[in-house]
Amino acid sequence: MKTLAIIPAYNEEESIVDTVEELKALAPQIDYVIVNDGSKDNTLAVCQEHGYNVLNLPVNVGLTGGFQAGMKYAWENGYDFAVQFDADGQHRPEFIQKMVDAAIDQHADIVIGSRFVTEKKQASARMTGSALISGMIKLTTGKRINDPTSGMRLYDRNMIKRFISESDFGPEPDTVAYLIRRGANVVEVQADMRERSAGESYLSFSKSISYMMRTCMSILFVQWFR
Amino acid sequence: MNIALRIFLVVGAVIVFAMVIRKIRKSEMQASDSVFWLLFAGSFVLIALIPQIAFVVSDWLGFDSPSNFVFLFVIAILFIKAFTLSADVARLRQKVVALTQEIALREKR
Repeated sequence: MKTLAIIPAYNEEESIVDTVEELKALAPQIDYVIVNDGSKDNTLAVCQEHGYNVLNLPVNVGLTGGFQAGMKYAWENGYDFAVQFDADGQHRPEFIQKMVDAAIDQHADIVIGSRFVTEKKQASARMTGSALISGMIKLTTGKRINDPTSGMRLYDRNMIKRFISESDFGPEPDTVAYLIRRGANVVEVQADMRERSAGESYLSFSKSISYMMRTCMSILFVQWFR
Repeated sequence: MNIALRIFLVVGAVIVFAMVIRKIRKSEMQASDSVFWLLFAGSFVLIALIPQIAFVVSDWLGFDSPSNFVFLFVIAILFIKAFTLSADVARLRQKVVALTQEIALREKR
């Protein structure tokens, strides 16, 4: 089964090399593509220097459009599975194969690399947000997703096709909720994650609030009219 | 509707006209975009010259004062404009994203 790791990168010159080297060392059977989303730093130069496979977006389009570019690449090159893999070192390559195996064994359309299948959530502001989103997904789809905000998600070829044909399919919990309602089979596999190795967290306080608002609004309201 | 509001409407219309013409001269606005603003300014002039329109409509709709109707009219039109602009921006953003992706993908083919 051909699997592609899509690595969205925006200003990740400090961590991209470690991330890709680790991926190549620990999951050599997995192909990868870095989506350089109009980075202002030397992300592109660093990648070219090392001869990495880069899809270079000339301007910044954001995570949704950047990830979609990776999905289009996966579709055109005939991949069976595509997994979103963070450039900042949070995700661990050794779990990708487990996710692929789970997708095949359990006939899953989406496999989430979840921090909380066997482990429990600790109480913190971020996890309160995560629990809130879990609750809303449970409410609207009837399915329990323990780690909806995990960025490590594997999609099969049908899902890849859906991602390239929709304009507002972000790699976010609301898209997962929508796809569950449309009959996608979503399973979770325990995957441990690290703290970020470089750069600042994408989610500052104000961004967290607007992320929560957008996600809630989308799951509870917008998605019903798609 | 007092004379001050009528003068203000005419002055407002003149300013909008001037701004639109300046944009057209500098080729920063296309004819199709200018239609809305010219009609909008034109409606100011119409209400200023024939305030009876405002009287009749506000009577008919039960407004206390014609000037209230004029304010609501302006707000409503601008609200519609803001809404359609938001939709336009969303459509443009989609196009930019699609084009950007296409450029990147072509480089790899």
